[in-house]
Parts: sequence; structure tokens; C-alpha cells
Amino acid sequence: MKIIKDKVAKLSFVALLITMTAAMFYAPTASAHGEKSQAAFMRMRTIHWFDLNWSKEEVPVNDTMTISGKFLVFAGWPETVDKPEVSFLNVGIPGPVFIRAGSWIGGQLVPRSVSLELGEVYEFKVLLKARRPGDWHVHSMMNVQGGGPIIGPGKWVTITGSMSEFVNPVTTLTGQTINLETYALDNVYFWHAVWFAIAFAWLLFWIKRPMFVPRHIAVSTGKADTLISAGDKKVGMVFAVGTMVIVAASMGATNEKYPVTTPLQAGLLRGMKTYQMPESTVSVKVDDATYRVPGRAMQMTLTITNNGDSPVRLGEFNTAGVRFLDPAVHEDETSYPDDLLAEEGLTVSDNSPLAPGETRTVEVTASDAAWEVYRLADLIYDPDSRFAGLLFFWDENGTRQMVTVDAPLIPSFI
Amino acid sequence: MSASQSAVRSRAEAVQVSRTFDWMILFTLFTAVLGGYHIHYMLTGGDWDFWTDWKDRRLWVTVAPIVSITFPAAVQACLWWRYRLPVGATLSVVALMIGEWINRYMNFWGWTYFPVNICFPSNLLPGAIVLDVILMLGNSMTLTAVVGGLAYGLLFYPGNWPVIAPLHVPVEYNGMMMTLADLQGYHYVRTGTPEYIRMVEKGTLRTFGKDVAPVSAFFSGFVSIIIYFLWHFFGRWFAKTDFIADDAS
Repeated sequence: MKIIKDKVAKLSFVALLITMTAAMFYAPTASAHGEKSQAAFMRMRTIHWFDLNWSKEEVPVNDTMTISGKFLVFAGWPETVDKPEVSFLNVGIPGPVFIRAGSWIGGQLVPRSVSLELGEVYEFKVLLKARRPGDWHVHSMMNVQGGGPIIGPGKWVTITGSMSEFVNPVTTLTGQTINLETYALDNVYFWHAVWFAIAFAWLLFWIKRPMFVPRHIAVSTGKADTLISAGDKKVGMVFAVGTMVIVAASMGATNEKYPVTTPLQAGLLRGMKTYQMPESTVSVKVDDATYRVPGRAMQMTLTITNNGDSPVRLGEFNTAGVRFLDPAVHEDETSYPDDLLAEEGLTVSDNSPLAPGETRTVEVTASDAAWEVYRLADLIYDPDSRFAGLLFFWDENGTRQMVTVDAPLIPSFI
Repeated sequence: MSASQSAVRSRAEAVQVSRTFDWMILFTLFTAVLGGYHIHYMLTGGDWDFWTDWKDRRLWVTVAPIVSITFPAAVQACLWWRYRLPVGATLSVVALMIGEWINRYMNFWGWTYFPVNICFPSNLLPGAIVLDVILMLGNSMTLTAVVGGLAYGLLFYPGNWPVIAPLHVPVEYNGMMMTLADLQGYHYVRTGTPEYIRMVEKGTLRTFGKDVAPVSAFFSGFVSIIIYFLWHFFGRWFAKTDFIADDAS
């Protein structure tokens, strides 16, 4: 019995070693940002990103690219998420693989947090400078205080070259041009080395002599006072006074070397310029909406009224960054990420042009594997299972109108 | 060998065993403090210590000494009252800062590629050395808490200024003024640390105009006194040997 136990133990140990060794040879890169894990209602009912454009798909180190587009701060913002009164335009990338060379909302630089208004559309742009080679999933992103990160659509971008060539030149208000990538690094190392040397000297002074056992015996037998000599006290004084002198002198020298310094800058930017979309002449009423679980499709019954003066057709339904298109009306020409684009995902029971003044009730189906892949179907398990999205209509001249929809979603399991 | 026999046979051997024991204890103490203190400081000081664009004149100056005087006080209590070794604070802070440097270099730079000049740790060593010397000279917990705790808070900002000052040089960037530290925080994208999380320059210490740092340092020193007392008692309690049968603590 013991022999069998020993063999099992040995084999288990060998198996563990083999597993660990094998794991070393297979270490896939973790490149996701958890966008699929974010609650579906958060992605569908908070920030609607649209007209997104990634200017490049391949960028050499030190070169720049932009993510630009618009976002609608949804008027039906869920009650379970704090309003975007303090928000920050961010990008979802795996660390500083790019540096954020600039970010703008409505043409204003936004290095700080901003206050956004519900129901408004904003135009944005983020300028990125390539830093670390690799294939990176680059997302638009809005952080909302009390709401968390609201991640937008992402696209794969390749950075080529070598990170060692990356430079980040900045000219200060004192007229000095520096490379922020390595600026003041020697100074950091120098001062930390100086203080470590002093601290080690103090420690060495004490630990070079017998420590725990004899000193404990001395303390226990009432001879503690004999353990600290007059010489020790003098050395201690030298360390204490020396420390204060070095601190004072280094501070004075630093003030002389850097006479112009300012405090960190912080604050909230309000009154961001909104983007005025063309006035919509189409009104849409959602009569009902169901999500058919087996078919991975959402069906809506819409009553659409055209109050304009030219016929319109429904061409796109956009929710959580997933775009369902009717190719007979609109085709994407922006190289939108394939996994977020259902080029033939939108079917309308009667999508003939809706004449001015006409009202029509239609069945609209948005179907694609993206419902499952992007876990939007999980909406039915969310605390606020209403869906929302953007409908885009086009007239015969190619003029686009945007209408938001927001309604309860009933799941269908059969 | 019977239970009454000594494990060593000569004085030389006893000295050798004692020294071996010293190094074993020192190594164990150092690594234990490194781990415990590091976790404590990361949880309480956290971003104020991680990033240069958090190292401001108010909250960094106030928070860092208060949350970092803890382990030095506790380890001092053990090493001084049991062994008369005045190295508790320095040992703790050296352990913490070695752990921090390993973390910042291996993880922040080596793993996620943040430049070291944005994520270097704060310097806590001047205050720790002075804390140890005051305990040695005064042989008093109260004196060390009051004078040492205050000094620990007061020395923090000037002790870090030579490192942080170059990053407070202003820059004009796309029509806005910011410091180089602000620009580092903006350039080097932190997906999970949006700008509004940054707790800097908040508070009501406006009475002294732009000279906020000394007021913050004094306030930090006063609170450090209280925290020193508290953690010194923690240290004494942990250094008790009551759990060993027939042993008087």
C-alpha cells in the first residue's frame, strides 16, 4: 500500500512539473478590456458612440493616429448609474502602449474631467502617439464618476517599430525642451540612492554587533542601559542632524535650480460645446420589443411617422456600438470593426420609402451573432432590462436623420 | 543529549549560533515587514504613492506620513523594548521602499511599461532615521511620538522635494497650463484611473495662500503623533510572549 502511495505521490509531482513547464511555453497575451462583461444595459443606455473613425490600422512608433466620432449622452440614462456630471474622456488600451497626445470634446482640450448633459450629442477626438509595438485593441471610452468605465467600440491597431526609439519631447514654460519619457530619471535614482546609503549605514552600525540573543538577555536582566553607549548616542546625533541638514540643503538647492514651479492642476470643465444634429423630422414609437433567445434576434414593432418633406428609409440600428444595417439602404464605408458590424443584420417588414406625412407600422428585426458574442442578450438578466439605441433614416439624397428609441424588452425563450 | 544539556559546547560556538540566529531573525523580520507594510501602504497610501500627478501639496503631504508611520512605530516597540535596538523605523521603511522599488520597476515599468519617472515611490527615509535616533536618545515612547511623530510629518515634503520639484515645472499644452507631472498623468494612459479619481489640491487650507505645504505637513505631523501611539501599542502587544507557557512577558 505504501509503495502505491509513494508512486502516486511521485507521479503527481512529475505531472505537476510537466504542467508547469508546459504552461511556460504557452502564455497567451491577455488583450481584452472586459467590454463584453460590462452589463448590457450600461452599454445600451448610457453613452451611444457613433460615426467612429480610427484613422489608421497600422502605426509606426512615434507616429500618431486619431479616434474620432460623436457620442450621444442618452436621455434615458438608467437610474442605477450615476449621471455623467463628472466624466473623463478616456481610451481603452492595455496600458500606455500609446500616449494620449491630445483629447478634445467639441474642440476643447479635455485633460481634466468634464460635465456632460443628458440628451446632448458631443463631437470628440483623441490623438494617440504610438509607443509600444504590438497588436492592440483600441477603444473609445468614457469614465463616469459613480458609474464606472463605459467602454465604446474597439478596433485592432498594430504598432510597428521599437519602443527604444520612442521619444516624448515637451517644451516647458521655462524654455527647456525635455524628453518626458526619461526626464528627471537620473535625479530620482540619485536621491533614492543617497537616502538608501544613509539608511543602510545606520542599519549596518547596529546589525554588525550581536543583536537578538545577547541583547534580549541584557534587557531581561535589567542591563538595558548598558546596551546604548555614549558613542552610540553621538553617532545617532550625527545621523539625525546630518539628515536634517541634507534635507534642508537639498531643498534649498532644488529651489535654486527650479525657481519656477506650480502646483498640480485640477478641476472640472463645464459647459462643453455640444454638437447640433440636424433636426429629425421622423418620429418613432416602439409598440413592443422582444428578444428571441434561440434566434439571437431582437424584434421591434415600430410605428414610424415621416413629418418631413422627402421620403425616408430605415438603414441602421445602432446599440452598444453594434451596428445592424440594411444594405439596400446604407453600407458602411468607414472600415468599422467587423465583429461589431452586422452588414445585413437589419430587416424591415416593409422598408419601401416612407412618404412625407405617412405613418406606417413595421416589424424590424436586428439579428446577428453579436447579440451573444457581445453578451447584449444578457440584458434580460440586468436590473433595468430596457433596451435603447439609435435608428438612422436616409432620404433619397443621402441625408441622414437620427432617432433614439428606448423601451422595455421582453425575452422570448421559445 | 538530554534536555538539560546545552546545544553548544563552547563560547565560540555559542557566539556563532547567536549570530546565525541574528541573521535568520533579521531576514525573517525584514521580509515579513516588507510584505505586511507594503500591502498596508499600498492599500492606504495607494495612488498618492504610485503616481507623480497625485503628489500634491495637500493630500499627499498629509496622507503619506500618517499612513506610513504605522509599521515603524510597531517595529520600534518590539526592537527597542525587547532588544534596545534603535533601528525599527529605518528597518521598516528600508524594507517598504525595497518592496516598492521591486514593484515599481518589475510591474509598473517591466510589465505595463509606465516610465519609472511617473511611478517612483515616495522617500520616507529621512523621517524614519530621525524617528529611530529620537527613540534612542530619549528612551521614551511619549517623546518619540510627540517629537519624532511631528518630525516624521514635517520632514516628508522637504525630503521629497528634490525628487518631485523638476516635475512641477509648468508647461503650456494646447492652450492649457499644467505641470510636467500633470502631463505625465495625461500622456501615459491609465484606463482604470480616470482624472476625477485623482484627489489633489482639495480641501479648505486656503488661509496661507500658496504656502499650503507647511500647513499640511504640520497637520500630518500632529496626526502622525496619534497614529504613532496607536501603532506603538500594537507593536508592544504583538511583541508579548504571554503565549509561551511559564514565560513572563
